[in-house]
Amino acid sequence: MAISKITKKSEEQKDAEATVEKFKEDLGPFVVAAETTRMAMVFTDAKEPDDPLIFANDSFLSLTGYDRKEVLGKSFRFLLAHADDAKALAQLKTEFESASHSGSEVLCRRKDGSEFWTDVFISPVRNERGDLVQHFASFADLTKHKEEQAQSKMLIDELNHRVKNTLSTVQSIVWQALRTSSDPKVNQESIESRLFALSRSHDLLTRESWKSAGLRDVVNDALAPFVVADGRAERIVITGENIRFPPKAALALGIAFNELATNAVKYGAFSNGEGSILIEWTMKPSPPDGNRLFLHWQEKGGPTVTPPSRKGFGSRVIERGLAHELEGTVHLAYRSDGLVCTMNIPTPKGARHG
Amino acid sequence: MLVLMMIEDMLADLGCESVTTAATVDRALALINAQVFDAAMLDMNLNGDKSHAVAEALAARGVPFVYSTGNGGHDMKEGYPDRPVLKKPFKFEQLVESLTRLTLSPLER
Repeated sequence: MAISKITKKSEEQKDAEATVEKFKEDLGPFVVAAETTRMAMVFTDAKEPDDPLIFANDSFLSLTGYDRKEVLGKSFRFLLAHADDAKALAQLKTEFESASHSGSEVLCRRKDGSEFWTDVFISPVRNERGDLVQHFASFADLTKHKEEQAQSKMLIDELNHRVKNTLSTVQSIVWQALRTSSDPKVNQESIESRLFALSRSHDLLTRESWKSAGLRDVVNDALAPFVVADGRAERIVITGENIRFPPKAALALGIAFNELATNAVKYGAFSNGEGSILIEWTMKPSPPDGNRLFLHWQEKGGPTVTPPSRKGFGSRVIERGLAHELEGTVHLAYRSDGLVCTMNIPTPKGARHG
Repeated sequence: MLVLMMIEDMLADLGCESVTTAATVDRALALINAQVFDAAMLDMNLNGDKSHAVAEALAARGVPFVYSTGNGGHDMKEGYPDRPVLKKPFKFEQLVESLTRLTLSPLER
């Protein structure tokens, strides 16, 4: 029985091939076009149940990975990634009945087992008497489109994540300001100063495509608004390599340097006309964990420093927040001749001078 | 960093005696091994590493925890989808309610 079936198939096959040969004679250039177009296309025999394939062009074979002899005679449905995909079967039925004019997105499977999305468009082919004899189906590979969709969804998710994190940061800035002072003017200043510092760090990271930021750039951008007045640009020395930090660490460093500079302008070396600030850092090997960054912020020539009676938010951000975020130690020393801040933090794995 | 400090302040206001924080998965796992916690709050994305390993360690020790995320929880591919999620940004009252539920015994919930 199996043999008779195979024989029958090959008879069908012969008929089908004869039909295609007749096509070629009748429609010469159109058949050449169908065979060579980059759009994958097939003809099926509409007179047989399950629409077996009677013609497949080269693009269809390269899209699906099959040889021609493997697909001819097979039902159209063999292409489906999941033979029991009810939705796809219903869509194909609609396509075959010409009830759709927009095509259907169907998940298919290649010979090698890999899946791909394709848009299927099916049109009826009728003979002179108007009888349905074949179906013509074309396929638009949606792989690239689906990849772009996934990429776009990932970007939107990532954007949403960052927006929510940024809103939380803004909330924490407002929360801290209102806990620290009830003076609206003071609150406005501290909130704005921190929001602008955050904004400058975002600008820097955006210029670097949010991959990383150099320490020198972080320091320069954090201090930029503080050094424009009173010849302060001349009173600050920054020495160190542009060691790269990931975005989260760069944001934390930006906020910490904003706090240090704010303090210097209010009480330290930038609160008079003479004081100066020296910022220098080096990276030293620290086996087995790689390298560590040793940073020194030293103020000189400002008014005599007296340690604050209680630790403010700024010093908490620097000593606790930053140390925690970067898993290092950060220390503030209120020396009478000027504030000294020292940082000892691990540099990111593979950190390069850049 | 600033958000974490705010949460620390909120927890202190709430009367938490000891608040310990970890910025990386490794640090969190080390802390969970070394200390006994009443409750934990877990960021869905700890410094880029998936925080799943931390959730597993907490669950294994029976420490109740709440997730905190900027994405509303639908981004969770692995983890414990039945655990509560605090969506960032959240209010002090939401944190209080969430932690109160966590630390109640199952009968009181």
